[in-house]
Amino acid sequence: MKTENLIVALAADSRTEPPLRAFLWPALALALAMAVLVVLVSLGFRDDLLASLGEPFSVMRFVLTAALGVLGVRLALVLARPEGRSLARLWPVALPVLAALGLLVWAYVSTPAEGRQMALVGKTMTTCLVMIPLLSVLPVAAILMSLHKGATTTPALAGFAAGLGGSGLAAMAYAMHCIEDSPLFYVTWYGLAIAGVTLVSTLIGARILRW
Amino acid sequence: MDDWGTLLAEANSGDSRAYAAFLRTITPVLRGVVRAKAGGLGEAICEDVLQEVLLAVHLKRHTWQVGAPVRPWLYAIARYKVVDAFRSRGGKVEVPIEDFDEILAAEAGPDPTEAADMAKMIGLLDDRSGRLVRMIGIEGSSVAEAGQALNMTEGAVRVALHRAFKTLAALRERHLK
Repeated sequence: MKTENLIVALAADSRTEPPLRAFLWPALALALAMAVLVVLVSLGFRDDLLASLGEPFSVMRFVLTAALGVLGVRLALVLARPEGRSLARLWPVALPVLAALGLLVWAYVSTPAEGRQMALVGKTMTTCLVMIPLLSVLPVAAILMSLHKGATTTPALAGFAAGLGGSGLAAMAYAMHCIEDSPLFYVTWYGLAIAGVTLVSTLIGARILRW
Repeated sequence: MDDWGTLLAEANSGDSRAYAAFLRTITPVLRGVVRAKAGGLGEAICEDVLQEVLLAVHLKRHTWQVGAPVRPWLYAIARYKVVDAFRSRGGKVEVPIEDFDEILAAEAGPDPTEAADMAKMIGLLDDRSGRLVRMIGIEGSSVAEAGQALNMTEGAVRVALHRAFKTLAALRERHLK
């Protein structure tokens, strides 16, 4: 087939796909609503949820996870464009990570030596490590599906962004239930759960986001 | 917004004349890109790769944001597809994106190369889709004429045509990997 013939045929196809955001925003909102609903129905919100927002250590769980979520989704949106690879900036993602590590050190220093072990292990480590990945499934899938409709030229990095964004938002939903307010607990276990989901999403992205 | 941006914006809002003009404008530039990176493989293979790039541009044109510069977007697609195309043909090319600005456009020449791959892929489509693409592309039928010949409404022709190009891209992926 001559290229000119192909051009004529392509030009006759005037149907364009809707822009990415038209899919991402509703899908992500739905996924997030589902995650919050699952937390509410299966675990319940913590009784002092509103009051806990006044506690700096406690509210930081929301701030840090929301920051990872928003930055991850934003990065994914940039990377969904072919030229996104050269437009994307990664350093903003490092900010909440550094803040979390700073908080971890601060909590380690300020927690009495005999209380550290207890603060680290807490009472709900297993629930946390199971629930955050479970709650991440829908949000991460929503972002990966949007990326699939896009045209990323860096599939693994886009998968990474999807994993980080989706699991950050999922961890935020989980924090509505979680009563562990020590950074020794949440930086460690939320962090581990988010890192695990992000790793898996990176591997999935590298496979399914090629086009 | 430059002239490419104007054309692409009109194209994305459904103006097929602007879209054809856009594709004809970028084709020599993309051909230049492909030949500069892999001219050693011969003109016919370069034309195959060029057509793959055009198909990719077609299916991903909704990822261009109105107002964004067209060239970085286009070159990113070209780079990705050229690397991919040659990797799947067993070769390897390095395509630094910065180089694209200095590449000279290449016209097809007096006797345009007949690329083989796309015809092969069209042959793998179901009969009706294959006929549709050939009628419109090669025989120069309009959407309405193709619809009459195949006993389909214009809307159905458009849907089928769009699906045919998506299938072509998927077939190509499977075929070459």
